[in-house]
This record gives sequence, structure tokens and C-alpha cells, in this order.
Amino acid sequence: MRTRVVETTNLKKTYMLGKVQVDALRGVDLTVEKGDFLAILGPSGSGKSTLLNMIGALDKPTEGKVFIEGVDVSKLNDNALADLRREIGFVFQFFNLIPRLTARGNVELPMAIPGLGKTERRKRAEELLETVGLKERVNHKPAELSGGERQRVAIARALANNPKFLLMDEPTGNIDSKTANEIIELVRRLNEEKGVTIIVVTHDQQIALQTKRAVQMLDGLIFEEKVNQHESK
Amino acid sequence: MKVSDVFSYAFSAIRLRKLRAGLTTLGVVIGIAAIVALLSISQGLQDTITIQLQTGFATDTLIVSTGGGLGMGLGAGGAMGAADSGFSLLINDTQTIDELENVSMSVAIIQKACYVKSDEKSLIRYAVGVDFAKYENVYSTTFEAESGEIPLNPENETVIIGKRISDPWRNETLFCNVNDLVEIIWTNGTARPPKNETYAGHVVAVLKEIGGFSLFGPSDFSVYIPISQAQSFFGTDKCDVIIVKLENDDKATIESVSEAIEEAFGGQVSVTSSTAVLDIISSVFSTVEIFLAGIAAISLLVAGIGIMNIMIVSLMERTREIGILKALGMKSRTVLSIFLSEAVIVGLMGAAIGIASGWVLANVVARVFSGGGFMGARNQAAVSGGMTITPVLTPVVFLGALAFGLVVSVIFALYPAWRASKLKPVEALRYE
Repeated sequence: MRTRVVETTNLKKTYMLGKVQVDALRGVDLTVEKGDFLAILGPSGSGKSTLLNMIGALDKPTEGKVFIEGVDVSKLNDNALADLRREIGFVFQFFNLIPRLTARGNVELPMAIPGLGKTERRKRAEELLETVGLKERVNHKPAELSGGERQRVAIARALANNPKFLLMDEPTGNIDSKTANEIIELVRRLNEEKGVTIIVVTHDQQIALQTKRAVQMLDGLIFEEKVNQHESK
Repeated sequence: MKVSDVFSYAFSAIRLRKLRAGLTTLGVVIGIAAIVALLSISQGLQDTITIQLQTGFATDTLIVSTGGGLGMGLGAGGAMGAADSGFSLLINDTQTIDELENVSMSVAIIQKACYVKSDEKSLIRYAVGVDFAKYENVYSTTFEAESGEIPLNPENETVIIGKRISDPWRNETLFCNVNDLVEIIWTNGTARPPKNETYAGHVVAVLKEIGGFSLFGPSDFSVYIPISQAQSFFGTDKCDVIIVKLENDDKATIESVSEAIEEAFGGQVSVTSSTAVLDIISSVFSTVEIFLAGIAAISLLVAGIGIMNIMIVSLMERTREIGILKALGMKSRTVLSIFLSEAVIVGLMGAAIGIASGWVLANVVARVFSGGGFMGARNQAAVSGGMTITPVLTPVVFLGALAFGLVVSVIFALYPAWRASKLKPVEALRYE
């Protein structure tokens, strides 16, 4: 039996936008297993980013449950949530790198948080940057890197603490199509070769086609789930 | 996160905005420099005055005066400050005092403002009538001749002068010297019409330079004549004060003799011990120090508000960064410690530079103060009296300034740091 990495049951999230109540999630049931590569698709406002925030323990649901490897996220306090987030790799649309740190410094940062020694984290950061093809750019700051390179740094950073899974929010949304293809290929290889569990929120059909599974969201609900053909090969 | 990593991260944030960090630090520097400069000058001044008073006072002495006690005199001729109760101390009262237990001896002092004339020049000084032998015994370290000799059985027209009468301008242009004839002119205000009395005498000794000031102790600004001469010259048997030399300077002795003297004169006299005066001076200085430190502290508080302001701006600019850190698994307390570390770095740098600047400033001010500035050597105001102030940076002031700079920085950073730590990751990441 495969391990369930993420499970949501009847997940609801309501928030106020000024005086207007917004039902961002209206009862989402989703299961992600180890080694999965899932795309969450949907138009703007469909609730996919909100779902990502819940799965990433960045936000708490109004109703329903989120389980990460069987742990009920809603029962965790702030410290435990922080500990949990350390085991999740985030990749954001706008890279979210720390501008004053070098590529290596950015990748080292998540390892410094739990207190890993300098030599050890430096070595691992360089290995990860090599994995994403940035061996020669370790000492460059984000401003000196292209969009694609920045996103590679962000992926290397997300992998730093050997996460339970990667959460990617529009990872190709801010880069050109050629670079986007390279990023998709990199992500696919990470899943296939290294067995990294990946959940990706995207508009990009190219990415959706590369994943093993895709769910379509609309108005805070999952209305369609599709298993991509190449997995059944 | 390791402490070293927290500081390293905080330092990288400071380094990114050098000018802003520099200006924030400058606020702390100014506050700390002001505190250090004011306190070290004030401490130096206190030390100088205390040493000079201790020299001039002799701790085993009591000063007996009439009425409500002593005003704080400057120069040998201090303000008496005694209320006129109709009671007067007589020169012969020393006999009563001498008989008391633990009293070694007592000296009566008559003191009047006068003109001292030599050739065609004149100075306004104090004429002091004392028993030379007894006075020398009480103030053996200061009533000491630099030239000439202090006669133990003085002849009628003997005069001893202080250094600032012999050399009033400190430039070796002597006003008078040993063997010169000087005239002391005193205006008898009780005569009708008021009448100038003149005492002419030969200088037999010039006292060595004493510096500073004292209460009825030897002074550079006084001219001394035998008590018997003063009696007839001033036409009085009354004395201004009686200095009492004790067997020792134990607190118990001081108290018991003080009580005995007050009792002997039916409570009509005030007895002031030198140590009590020193205590009062010390207490006055403490108050002045607190006042000065308070003024300086205000500037540091302003610096603190500057730190808070800058950190709140920084917090707003770095909201997204805080969101990233939290998304990467950083705990709220680590975010708090990063912001506080930035304040610690600013506070420590500011305090260190402030202490150094304050020390330099104190030395510059002390040099101006001591060496010919507004209280220069040529100024004959008694308070300058040749005083050299050496600023003193005590370990308490040093560590206190360091700690104060640090504490103010951290306290004012607490609120922004707390706000940063409480940011919700999802909201911080969404912040634009």
C-alpha cells in the first residue's frame, strides 16, 4: 500500500474580502500519495492557491481537515506548524528568493533554520545547485540571474531539507516558454528519477500534461480528476 | 537556528542598507556620547574638587560657627551664611572647646574682605586673623611656606600671603614677595562715618600653591595676620569660626565632640564636620550627575524612537521576506530574534562609537575648561583656582553606557520585532 502524503477531507475556507464573504474552498477532498505528481488546474479564483496554502500549512482551514502523513494540521500550534513547513518544499511563481543572499545562501537558508552546520549545508547547497544545473552560478545573487535560473535556485532551495513533497505555485508563470520547458523537464526528472512527490498549481497545460494526475477546480470545488496517459504506459 | 546564523542574517540585512543603518546608529552614538562626556567630566570635576577639599579640609576637623550653619564658601573667605541670632563666637571660646574630650586643639578665625596694597597696585582679597602655630598644626600640609618662614611667635606686623597674592596673574609678575611691605585696608562699616583702617606689615612667608578651595582652610587668595593683631585691627573680640582639631577622625568622635560643643554653647552654634561637607558635595554631585545623565538620556530616547521608526519601515519593506522565512519553516521566535539582533548590532555599534566619541569630547571640553577657555588660568574666579579637570570614565559609566545603548535599542525594537514575528505566513507572502 502506498503512503498517503497529503489528505484533505471536506476542506472549506472562508475569508472576508472587505465586507464580502468569499468561499474560497467549499469542501475539497483530495489525496496525494508518495511519488505522485499532481497538477491542480483551474481559472483564477477557483481556489487552487488557497488549497495549496492549506496543504502547505501556511493557512488553516475554516472547516474540514488536512492531514500531512497522517498528522492533522489543524491541531498543530504555531511552532509545530513551522516544524512541519520545514518538511515541505515551496516553489513560488515569483521565486521569492532573498535578494541579498547568493544562490548558495538562498539554498542554505532552509538548512540553517533547523541548525545544520555551515560546512554541511554549504556542501549540500552546492550539490543541489549542481542538480538544477547552476553549478557555475552559486555565488550569484538573484538580481544577477535570469528568471529561469532564479526558479532553479528556488527548486534547489525547496529540496534542501529533503521534503515530504514539493508544492509549486505557478512555477512557470513568470518565465519564458523555452525556460518553462526546461523547468518542467527538471521537475519531471525529480519526480521520476528521485521519486519526489510534487503538487503543482498551474495554468500551464504543458506542465499538466507532464504530471501523472491532474485535478480541475472551479468555484472552490474539484470537479474533474484525470490520470494522464503516460503514467499508464 | 544557531545564534551565529541569526546574527549573520541580521548583519546581512543591516549591511544592505548602510546609509540607513549608519544614520540609525548615529542617533545612538550621539546619545551615548553625550552621556559619557557629561558623566566623565562631572566625575572628573567631582574627583578634582574632592581631592582639593580633602587637602584643604583635614578630615579630623570640625568647623564651629554661629547660627544656622555654614554656607558653602569658595576661597578661604567663604560666605558665612549664618543667620544673625545675636549670639557671637568669641576668640576666647577656644578655651571652652579645648577642654572637651577628644579635642586636640582649636583655632579661632577672624576673616574680613579687604584691599591688599603693594606699591601702587591693589587686590581685593580676604584678611584672615589666626594663631599661626595652631593653624599650621591643623593644616600642616597646606599652611606651608614656599618662601620665607612661618613664625610660630609672630611679631606684631607680620603678614603671610597666599600664592595668588604673591603671583596673582600666574605669570611670575609678582605683586609682592617676602620682606615686602604690604598694606591691608579694611573699611570699618560700623564706624560713623565708615572709616578705612590700614594695617601695614612685612611679608614673612608666601604659602606654597594650594589650588582649589576650602572652607576656612588655607587659601591661595588670603592674607594672614596674627590673631592678636586682627583683634585690634578689626576692633573685635568676636571670631567668625573656630576650627577644632580632633584626636582622630572616627565618626563616633566627630559626633560626640559635635554634640559636646553644641551643648557647651547652649545650642547657639552649628558644628560642621569636614566629612559632612564632603558628603553634601558628593550628594550635590550625584544630583547633578543624575540631572545631566537625564538630559543625555532624552537624546538617547529620541534615538530609540528613531530605531523604532526605522525598524517599522524595515518591517513593512521586508514583510514578504518574513513570509518566505516562515514558509521555509522559521519559527516566530527566530523571526523575533533576527529583528532584535539587528537592534543589538545597531545598539552595540552605536554604544561603542558613542563611548569613544564621548571620551574624546570630554577630554576636549576638559582641556578648554582647565586650560584658558572660559574659566581660564587668568580668570581669578575662586572656583577655577588653578583646577585641572581630568575626565574620569569609570567602569560603571562605561558598562552603563554600553548597556543603556543596548537596552534602549532593544526596547524600541521590541514592538516592530514582535509585529514581524506575529505576521501570518500566507498574508506576509501576499504582501506587496
